[in-house]
Amino acid sequence: MFTLNNHLELRRVTISSLLTCIYLPSIISVISYKGILYSVGSGSSFYILVLIFIAELIKSFYLSSNNEIQSKKNKAKIRVSDILKAFGFLLGVTFCFFLGIILFGAPVLDKHEETLMLSSLLTLLSVFPLVAHTGVELAMQLLFGVKHFSKDTIIAMLVNNALLCVCGAWIGAVVIPLDWNTPWQQWPIPCYLGAIGGYLLSNVMTVLKVTMMSASHKYKFLNFFVNIINKLHVSK
Amino acid sequence: MLFWLQHKWSGLWLLIFAFGSLTLFLYGFFPLKYHSGKLAHMDDLPNFIDGVSIDGHEVYNSGENSVILMVIDGLRYDFAAEEYMPYTGQLIKNKSACIYVSVAEPPTVTMPRIKSPERKKEKAQWRRTINFWRDIFAMMTGSVSTFADVALNFGAPAVKGDSILRVASSRGRHSVLYGDDTWLRLFPGLWTESDGTTSFFVTDYTEVDNNVTRHLDSVLTPLEDKKPKFDFLVLHYLGLDHIGHLEGARSPKIKPKLIEMDSIVKKIHTAMQTWDRSGVLIICGDHGMRDAGGHGGASPAEVLVPLVVLKSTDFQCPHELGPGPVVAQVDIAPTISWLLNAPIPGDSTGKFLPSLLPSDIRQHLYLLHVNALHNVKQGVPTDTEYYKQFKRAETQFARYLSTGQQSAARIAKEFYDESLAAMSKQLSEATTDFDVFALGLAVVFLYLMLTALVCVTLYSLQPENQRKISVTDKHKTNLGTVVAFAVIFAIIASTLTLTCFISETRSQFCSFGPSWSAVFLASAVALTFAYFLVKIGLEKIRDLSTLRDLNAIDFLLILGTLFHAWSFFGTSFIEEEHMTWYFFWNTLMFFVLVRTIVVIVLYFGKRLSGATEVQEKPELEHRMSDVGVGIVPKWVLLIGLHRYLRTMNQTGDRWLFLPDTADWLNAPENSIYLQAHLIIGTLATFAICLRNIRHMNNHLKIHSVLTILSTLCIFLYRISAGSIRLPNEVPKWDAEQVVQVFWWLLAAQTIFEVITYVGAFPNGNRFVYNKPKAKTEDYFYDNAEEPWNLNDVKLNLARSLTHIMYNQMMLIIVLLMRPHNVIMVPSIYITCLLTAKCLDHKLLDSRPGRNTEGADTLSLTLAHIWIGAVFYFYQGNSNSLASVDLGSGYVGLSEYSPVRVAARMGLHAYAGPALSGAHLFCSLPYTDINRYRQAVWRVTNIMALQRVYQVVIYCVIAIIFRHHLFVWSVFSPKLLYDFVATIFSVQALLTIAEIVCLTHVVSWISRCITYRRVT
Repeated sequence: MFTLNNHLELRRVTISSLLTCIYLPSIISVISYKGILYSVGSGSSFYILVLIFIAELIKSFYLSSNNEIQSKKNKAKIRVSDILKAFGFLLGVTFCFFLGIILFGAPVLDKHEETLMLSSLLTLLSVFPLVAHTGVELAMQLLFGVKHFSKDTIIAMLVNNALLCVCGAWIGAVVIPLDWNTPWQQWPIPCYLGAIGGYLLSNVMTVLKVTMMSASHKYKFLNFFVNIINKLHVSK
Repeated sequence: MLFWLQHKWSGLWLLIFAFGSLTLFLYGFFPLKYHSGKLAHMDDLPNFIDGVSIDGHEVYNSGENSVILMVIDGLRYDFAAEEYMPYTGQLIKNKSACIYVSVAEPPTVTMPRIKSPERKKEKAQWRRTINFWRDIFAMMTGSVSTFADVALNFGAPAVKGDSILRVASSRGRHSVLYGDDTWLRLFPGLWTESDGTTSFFVTDYTEVDNNVTRHLDSVLTPLEDKKPKFDFLVLHYLGLDHIGHLEGARSPKIKPKLIEMDSIVKKIHTAMQTWDRSGVLIICGDHGMRDAGGHGGASPAEVLVPLVVLKSTDFQCPHELGPGPVVAQVDIAPTISWLLNAPIPGDSTGKFLPSLLPSDIRQHLYLLHVNALHNVKQGVPTDTEYYKQFKRAETQFARYLSTGQQSAARIAKEFYDESLAAMSKQLSEATTDFDVFALGLAVVFLYLMLTALVCVTLYSLQPENQRKISVTDKHKTNLGTVVAFAVIFAIIASTLTLTCFISETRSQFCSFGPSWSAVFLASAVALTFAYFLVKIGLEKIRDLSTLRDLNAIDFLLILGTLFHAWSFFGTSFIEEEHMTWYFFWNTLMFFVLVRTIVVIVLYFGKRLSGATEVQEKPELEHRMSDVGVGIVPKWVLLIGLHRYLRTMNQTGDRWLFLPDTADWLNAPENSIYLQAHLIIGTLATFAICLRNIRHMNNHLKIHSVLTILSTLCIFLYRISAGSIRLPNEVPKWDAEQVVQVFWWLLAAQTIFEVITYVGAFPNGNRFVYNKPKAKTEDYFYDNAEEPWNLNDVKLNLARSLTHIMYNQMMLIIVLLMRPHNVIMVPSIYITCLLTAKCLDHKLLDSRPGRNTEGADTLSLTLAHIWIGAVFYFYQGNSNSLASVDLGSGYVGLSEYSPVRVAARMGLHAYAGPALSGAHLFCSLPYTDINRYRQAVWRVTNIMALQRVYQVVIYCVIAIIFRHHLFVWSVFSPKLLYDFVATIFSVQALLTIAEIVCLTHVVSWISRCITYRRVT
């Protein structure tokens, strides 16, 4: 899926993934150092979402902006209506996540705040970077697999991130019913952390792969690992 | 032998063999020593010792005693030191008290629970009671309890056999209890006075003990004549255990608690001095605790508990200072019985505590004799050394009695002690030992069956053209087959026999008694059968290209099914098995949702962008209209329905107490909603039944009429049972008669259907038997003498019988279900229908002519198994014996009849798997008899494979965890559930086999009748 054809894109992908690998763990370690890791579900942790939002926004600017002349044209075209549309779309996606999470087993009558926080996190991590990078229409087409993206390294990375993020949240739910009686088995902490973990894993894998791809010129055996990681990518 | 592999019911045979192996496994896992329930009596005391007469009653008499048994929950051995309990330690030091190391039975746990609402309280308490049971059972009856004791008593956990309390109350002694109310439930009606406390609040460690202590002052104060008010007093202190659970054994709260206990010991000891009779105080823990605070394993800290014996008068501990001799928990029972001047409880296997035995040598020896004789009566084999030792001791005792030689007495005592120790060990081992040989053998059998089933299933999944019998196969003679079978059979039988002798096992399997020989031969035959299936299967499986059609959803289904069996390695995954299934099912629904959305978007994308593409591919258009755009909203609604159904019944163990929708519906103020659920569920089922009638031969609309009548019966039953309340009073119908009519209606429906196919109504059939089918022209041979197409009769009869089975099953289950669960029945139908549609491999596949039948069958079968499992738990079932709904067994019955009650309970409990399985068989392709047969073959194999696979893995888990702390409360019930599920799988597949068999019979009869009519 990833090719060495476009070195500039590859470098951008690597750097943005590296950024994620730095900023997300630092947020998590700071809040766990402060001892408020288990309050991530409540509304008081809204600032985490804001931080992630800002970081993702910066990343997407980096990813799409400083490309040659062509992108400068695109940049000029960004209008207020586009931004509004994107926000509306994101809100809609958040609501869909909210409904979906409840349909798949979140408490119905209470804990709406927690569920809402989880769905906003999922939106922020999975859909928002795509929308920011490609715009609403293309993002929708990509999400439903209508459009193929095999040539675009950046979009491939973003879709992978989104899928692994949702998978992480999904798998996080496994630990909730176990009888360990730990404080982090509360709804929605495992799913919340699972989503972040999945996102992080995806980014780490990207960095790892690019590193190994560039090193595999010298060491041929690394190609084997690159192939394995390529297989691991969840793609349709 | 190839014939076996190709035979359509080999899978069923293998499942039946696997069921036999599972029975063998259960036999080895649950030791078959039931407690006899024999009640002891004073006249059992022997009056002759080896021919020398002795007055049993007079010698046995222990004098007037009052016994206090003080059980301190979680008191482990090192807590009885002087550091924690100064007064007791002092007494032990100056030998006015004796300390023993008592060994508790390993799987012990008293798990305090958080508070539950009233309705669920019983269920939550049940598991705790079982764990409590063992310790109290051992102390009070003197015998180690088996799982059978618990399983046979579930629902009413009271000890049925003999116990200290029973013998005490039969001798007119007064027993008093202050402590946990489990004692009251275990021994109801045997206490003269009691105050039970519940120990649900684990955070409370002062109040539970104060509730016990507050009675002490009054109960210890003797009456005017200096006699205490009781003969036997049980004090059970829970506080220490609660602290252990909360903070561990190193908690600073432990010491004050132990000092409090010590002050109670002091108080009792002081009070005992004021009585005119001797008081005996026995202090013990029922189990220890780990340093971390829990308990239940087999580590020394948990199993070794102190047992301190105090006597108010003239008591000198005969043992050396130090840790004290080792005794067993069961030794308390005979000792206390004797002190109360009552006989030893019937099933007791314990010995008297040595320090309390009288110094009078005659009485001492007599007690030892009584004890040994009691053990002998419980089936000690007479050819053993310790039995001979007992006989020698008896002779010496008789010599002492007649001559008074001290040396004889000494020898007798020595012999008695030796033989008693060996006997007790042997008796308690006989109760607790697993038959490891049988277990291992059963697992080996199961594995072979599993391998054979895998071969059969893979073989059946091959495309049809690969299964053609080659010419060389046909040339093999029957004689060769028989010889090959005989040789392999001989080899397997001799290997089994050798294994028996080499392992020198005591297992019954190798006893070669008449009935066990039959079992032995049957297992050898089964092994030979499996061997040939595996051998031929490995040779014949060539082409597995069907498996290449599998998509992501199929892999999810397969991997989920495979993983589910392994999840049982964690106890909480057994207790919360429903969570695993819900998670899998949710994942599946999510995958399908994504898939349907993608399909729809793809379709519209293609349609809007390039209309030509759609026109070029009419297949695409056709398939789309088959599914419809509505599939996405329908699927979302289905997810919503499942979300609702999941809240209907809380199940499992950990969240059992949470209020659920069923609680809400059953509240009296919401009865209108409950009735709405009931009526909607019944009417929806009725509609589905009417819809299914189109697959039957609805001659003269008789099927419709019968269905309407049976639904009416259901409503009448509900009205008479009071679940539906009508605004104006109607005459009450007798529920029993209504149900009786219901059964007759169902029977009439089946018989009518068979009769129409026989050809009894010549003009009313949908198939006109004497009209040749157009197909016959294609045949190169002339089959004009068969004017009807027999395969059509068979196929249609199979279809209609399967649908009748499904309809009737739905109606019966609607009748049996609790009112709030009736809605499950139509939900299963809808779920199965939609899932079958969405899982189709050809969904919007533009490649025509691709044969995905094998993959379709595989995914549909697994999906239906999943649906069955999910609904099994929606309905409120779990892997705990407490969730068995006994009420459903008595619908329409006025008296107990084991078979009927069991059948009803079984069908009610396994309603989900049964209905989804029946729907699966209804949705098989009924277009061509060969396709139908092949589909039935594949489905049977896959279902059998899934069941055996789960059983095999679980059996291995049960063996690995047979000494686990939850073996009784978690692993064993699950094993029983698996056993019952296997029975029902066999039964379900047998029903399908019966239907196929019936179609053959009916087609034969109809041919005869029609022939006669034609000629």
